[in-house]
Amino acid sequence: MSENSNERPTALNRRDFLKVGGTAAVSVPAMSGMVTATAIGALTSSARAAAAGQCVLGVTQEAVNFNPLLYVNTGVETSVEFIVFDNLWKIDPAGKFVPNLATEIPTQQNGGISADGLTWTIKLRTDATWHDGAPFTAADVVFTLDTLLNPKVTVRSRNGHENVETYTAVDDHTIKIKLKEAFAPYMVSWQKTSIIPKHILADVADINTAPFNTSPIGTGPFKFANRVAGSEIEFEPNAKYHGGAPKLSKLIQKFVPDQQTLYAQFQTGEVDIYDTQGIPPLLYEKAKKLAGSKTMLSPSPFVEFIYFNCGKPQFQDKRVRKAIYMAIDKKAWIDSVYYGVPIPTLSFLPSNHWAYNKALVDPGFNPAKAAALLEEAGWKAASDGVRAKDGVRLAFTMSTTAGNKSRELAQQVVQQNLKKINVEMTIKNMPASVVWGDYCVKSEYDTLMVGWDALLYPDPDYGDRIKSNAIPAKGGNGSNYVQYENKEIDELCAKGVNVVDQAERKKIYDRIQEILLDDMPFAPIFAYQVIIGIKDRIGGYAVNPYTPINSWNTADWTAS
Amino acid sequence: MRRFILHRLLQAAILLIGVSIIGFALMHLAPGGPLAVYTLNPTVTSQDIERVKVLFGLDQPVYVQYLKWARGLLTGHWGFSFFGGQEVRVIVLERLPATFLLMGSSMMLALVVGVSIGVLAAVRRGSGFDYATAIMAMIALSLPTFWFGLLAIFTFAQTLGWFPAGGIASATDAGLLDRLWHLVLPMSVLAFVLVAQWSRYTRSAMIEILSQDFIRTARAKGLASGTVLLNHAVRAALAPLITLAGLQLPLLVGGALVTETVFSWPGMGLLFINALNTRDYPILMAILMVGAVVVVLGNLLADILVALVDPRVKLHG
Repeated sequence: MSENSNERPTALNRRDFLKVGGTAAVSVPAMSGMVTATAIGALTSSARAAAAGQCVLGVTQEAVNFNPLLYVNTGVETSVEFIVFDNLWKIDPAGKFVPNLATEIPTQQNGGISADGLTWTIKLRTDATWHDGAPFTAADVVFTLDTLLNPKVTVRSRNGHENVETYTAVDDHTIKIKLKEAFAPYMVSWQKTSIIPKHILADVADINTAPFNTSPIGTGPFKFANRVAGSEIEFEPNAKYHGGAPKLSKLIQKFVPDQQTLYAQFQTGEVDIYDTQGIPPLLYEKAKKLAGSKTMLSPSPFVEFIYFNCGKPQFQDKRVRKAIYMAIDKKAWIDSVYYGVPIPTLSFLPSNHWAYNKALVDPGFNPAKAAALLEEAGWKAASDGVRAKDGVRLAFTMSTTAGNKSRELAQQVVQQNLKKINVEMTIKNMPASVVWGDYCVKSEYDTLMVGWDALLYPDPDYGDRIKSNAIPAKGGNGSNYVQYENKEIDELCAKGVNVVDQAERKKIYDRIQEILLDDMPFAPIFAYQVIIGIKDRIGGYAVNPYTPINSWNTADWTAS
Repeated sequence: MRRFILHRLLQAAILLIGVSIIGFALMHLAPGGPLAVYTLNPTVTSQDIERVKVLFGLDQPVYVQYLKWARGLLTGHWGFSFFGGQEVRVIVLERLPATFLLMGSSMMLALVVGVSIGVLAAVRRGSGFDYATAIMAMIALSLPTFWFGLLAIFTFAQTLGWFPAGGIASATDAGLLDRLWHLVLPMSVLAFVLVAQWSRYTRSAMIEILSQDFIRTARAKGLASGTVLLNHAVRAALAPLITLAGLQLPLLVGGALVTETVFSWPGMGLLFINALNTRDYPILMAILMVGAVVVVLGNLLADILVALVDPRVKLHG
């Protein structure tokens, strides 16, 4: 989620630029109370406050594709997915899987998963229907898999379903899947896969451009009622929802591109929930004091890193990477740039995750030790004040999305920290469409400042980002943009996805995290927390650290 | 006249082809591309990115992509958005009315207020009013639109609560009154800069005309000063102002872009900003072409109107 607020290409340079100007405006103390009743204000105030039962969700990016398999924008489009569609099982705020379109969670105990972990038998609900009244059956689940694996469809990700060997509908409400090899994250694969309707899409010539993508039909708690492009989407409750009829009479996702404007609308009551990208940390203190509303912190799976390109001559020695980690004042970074909101972490997992290795020891902020480590590694300060070794200067660029104000401030903190140990860092930010293109994927950068989570989060499998055969710059398949190679890691990652028992897996991931903290291919700084603003009239809203968005339980929401 | 229009239309067609080639080339030559959005989604692997790249046709040479696109455009098929999967023609056409409403109303407002100020300032040259409006115009022209927009939101929406902070209509009530109420702030902000320009141009045009012989003659004939001003002077000043209106179009389009983002106005500007950030090429090209057509036709229309109001102007083919 935080990734969205900070990194999505739609988080424009200009908007962040506005943040500076707007912040000045917003922080004027007069703002808080002085709402003067005027003729116009009185005339329209009734229109402004939404009626009971209606809830307006404010977002700063526009959802444009509502096909749950095709959209790319995590956040706003995931929000629509959760409102309109269902998966086989959901994940609750405690991290427990809860049956949704399936009647039970398959396990080895209940026979849902075979002893070798390869065959999955999933029983489906008999009482679920599509919004157009057609019954939901196993054929829809089979069709969803067909679509995911169809080479002609631009699905964004196969969610791990490429591990499937065969799949069939045993009867109308049972589906049997055989995997190529045991794959522990497969539970999450299904949690991340919304089921699409076969009776609507089977005969469509090209699913990529189907009308369904903009007027979706799901089985979820709300029906997609109406959309005003560039402005809002209206959802109507699905009275026949298998999980019980929603309590709201109308749900609206309202698109307000500018953070300051959205905050203003939240303040005036035009918007009930400021979710998705969250209130900018700068406004947190102000938001806490707003009357008629409260704020919540929503832990996010996104971890903020400094990515080292281990393929560059400066970063081939892990002592250099570790020295840089020790030279950076992480606490100052969190406190001064993000107002203390994010939670520190020493791993690619947030510290509240079940697989987080609690034994990890923070090497701490220690410039003297960092300098000594660089000396030991042979990097000595040259006449220009910058360390060098064998003709290579310890100088590099750091890139992120241009115009991301928070990251730009953080870069300055890091730059100052590194200067003290004679390391030269140059800030080289570019538009999102540039920095996250080949520059990142083909490992052309020196270092990046970036926030990411695991491929199938909340599963702790991280192989896609650290295995040696996952380096795109070397022809691999994966997201190992740091070009990190370690045989032990490769073996552990392979083992980690094959073992199903959680206690056994924990040991494997503990070791992986230990190695990564020592090798430091990327420097973990903190896990984001999204600041949610919510009006007091809204009830039933629950923060879920395991979903990228908190609209996972909209059927329970109320508005008085 | 007909020959002139035909000739100009032919010129316009060549111009538009040129614009499309340059636009397409620049867009594709610029570093980065639409697939960066996929990289940022943590569930997407580099394998997925390669797969989508081929399906979008982005692995083909740029000229092949251009020819495909141009052929589609000529047959009325503008392509599909990379991210929405929707037909670009539908996406753009559903945004046009909002932009035209904002641009049209701002232009009307600016025209009425700007020309009035300009005429008054010219008539009362050197007066306090003249100086005050000159200073106002300088401020308006040097203020960035987004800053002025934020100031307006802060003052009239957040502090005073007179107007909504953005949007084209309330989510819960979208009557005519509600729509007008939403229009006031963005329209005024966009009109502000235009008023400054209109008033300054009108003032100089009027000053020049007011010193001419035919005005003195009209006055000498004993016509009422109001009649002289409106029937003689303003009419003569119209020609340069119409040309100005044509030239202002690109500025208006640019201003609308910023204004729409600040006020979350669901028009083409907002669509353009989003498409630009995600590099949704089909949408960008469509907006570029619509913008180019509006500017080219607007200027053609301005030329024709000038000929109509000013009999001295002859249109040559």
